Amino acid sequence: MNPLELTLGIMTAVGGFVDISELVFAGKAGSTFGYALIWVFVFSTVGIMVFGEMSGRVAAVAKQPVFNLMRHRLGLKLGIVTLIASLIANLITCAAEVGGVALILNYLTDAPYMLMAIVSTAVLMASMWVLPFKWIERAYGLLGLFMVTFAVALVAIHPPWHQVAGGLVPHAPAGLSTREMLNFAYFMVAIVSAVMFPYEAYFYSSGGIEEDWGPKDLPMNRISCTVGFGLGSLLAISILASSAQLFGPINVDPQLPGTTALEAATPYGKIGLVLALLGMLFAVGGAAIETCMANAYSIAQFFGWEWGRHRKPWEAPRFTIAWIVLFLAALGIILTGVDPMKLVEFAILFSILVLPLTYLPLLLLAGDKSYMREHVNGVVGKTLGWFYFAVVTAAALAALPLFLLTSGGQG
Amino acid sequence: MKPSAPIKLVGQLLDLPIIDRDGNYSGIVDDIELTGSAGKETRIAALLVGPGAYRGRMPKWAMWLVRKLAGDRITRVPIGEFASIDSAVHLKGSADRLGLHRSEDAARAWIPRKGAM
Repeated sequence: MNPLELTLGIMTAVGGFVDISELVFAGKAGSTFGYALIWVFVFSTVGIMVFGEMSGRVAAVAKQPVFNLMRHRLGLKLGIVTLIASLIANLITCAAEVGGVALILNYLTDAPYMLMAIVSTAVLMASMWVLPFKWIERAYGLLGLFMVTFAVALVAIHPPWHQVAGGLVPHAPAGLSTREMLNFAYFMVAIVSAVMFPYEAYFYSSGGIEEDWGPKDLPMNRISCTVGFGLGSLLAISILASSAQLFGPINVDPQLPGTTALEAATPYGKIGLVLALLGMLFAVGGAAIETCMANAYSIAQFFGWEWGRHRKPWEAPRFTIAWIVLFLAALGIILTGVDPMKLVEFAILFSILVLPLTYLPLLLLAGDKSYMREHVNGVVGKTLGWFYFAVVTAAALAALPLFLLTSGGQG
Repeated sequence: MKPSAPIKLVGQLLDLPIIDRDGNYSGIVDDIELTGSAGKETRIAALLVGPGAYRGRMPKWAMWLVRKLAGDRITRVPIGEFASIDSAVHLKGSADRLGLHRSEDAARAWIPRKGAM
């Protein structure tokens, strides 16, 4: 295991962990319920570690990405249902990320939001065209490390650490009314969805193939998933905890990424604000690319096309056309004038509905000895995998009623 | 199960990706052509690749949609072209020779060959 590769892999996972949905929901969760939802972030992060590791292992051992094998396992009909559902969920998510990047650029430059949406889509598409996979992943992941500003800012504002630690213990705040309890439950479901987005498994496993992983890379896969995702989750928790301390007591609801960025401005002024916005810009921009690529990967793998950005765009032409069309479709959604924060809510809702369909085939594949040989799921992997599958299925069943009952977490 | 019900004899092959000798993805096993008859040995004759091979596997309305969107082309890959089967079907020869890369080549004409690292 090359230590430099490992360090870069971990840093990339940290910088690439947070996306627009986590930014929004971490801030809102902190201001609305204090530190009480920290444990849900921790709990969901263990879930994405489990499925992330599994998808990387399947890619490294079976040498096929998840969507290729999913069709073989689920068959054509159920496979197409899964494909269409994940395409819709990922497209909405991608549009939300593009809208998020445009909003952040609007804060940084004061240029019109719509113009920034067009410019940011052009820049993201250009970087996908020019850069090979490894560079795309590393560039956005490493630049996303500006997000560490949030963790440093949290330490600087001296939060009540015993209360932060209390948030790690699974509980619901005492004395909530039925309405507030439903709202709390909706936030729980939304956080599970935001942390365990389906695109992450598709992107991660396809990335493993792009980088030509084999069984020798399994230790790196395991460490990147656990350490990288774990540290990435700490950034989301920092946003939540800062929001609980700064916004909760004065009843500020951070609906927009710009409000969340103010967390870093409180201790460090203008420099903190700019660094936080830069971190958000690269983290959300990276997530836009990941969601778009995850969709293009899914289509190409389902139909057996050439795919991957380790190849030149003209060496995988249908894959290239797919990601260009998908990026333009995401931009088209933003140009209709839809509120990007509404898109975040829809992305959260639709993704949780798709999660069981995403993770069931992965669980079956990772437990199939004919594909995985000696790297098949062990007792721990199997137990955790099925446990989290039950959790995401329960969350999927509860998501729509909770969304309707709470007007999307508005209480 | 009734004796007349279909048995998934070909489940191990169906929907597997196809990879040619140069490592290029060359489609998915969309259907399988069998030889033989009642009371005689049944053998796989070829793999069928392309949207036309979805017929019989999809509802009629979905098939109509597939035809409108992707056409009903079928490419036949004789069994003699198989090199090995694991998590994919590996071919002995190149996808171009078998006509499996026609759509890929048609799409390639639209992509400019510059600017990428």
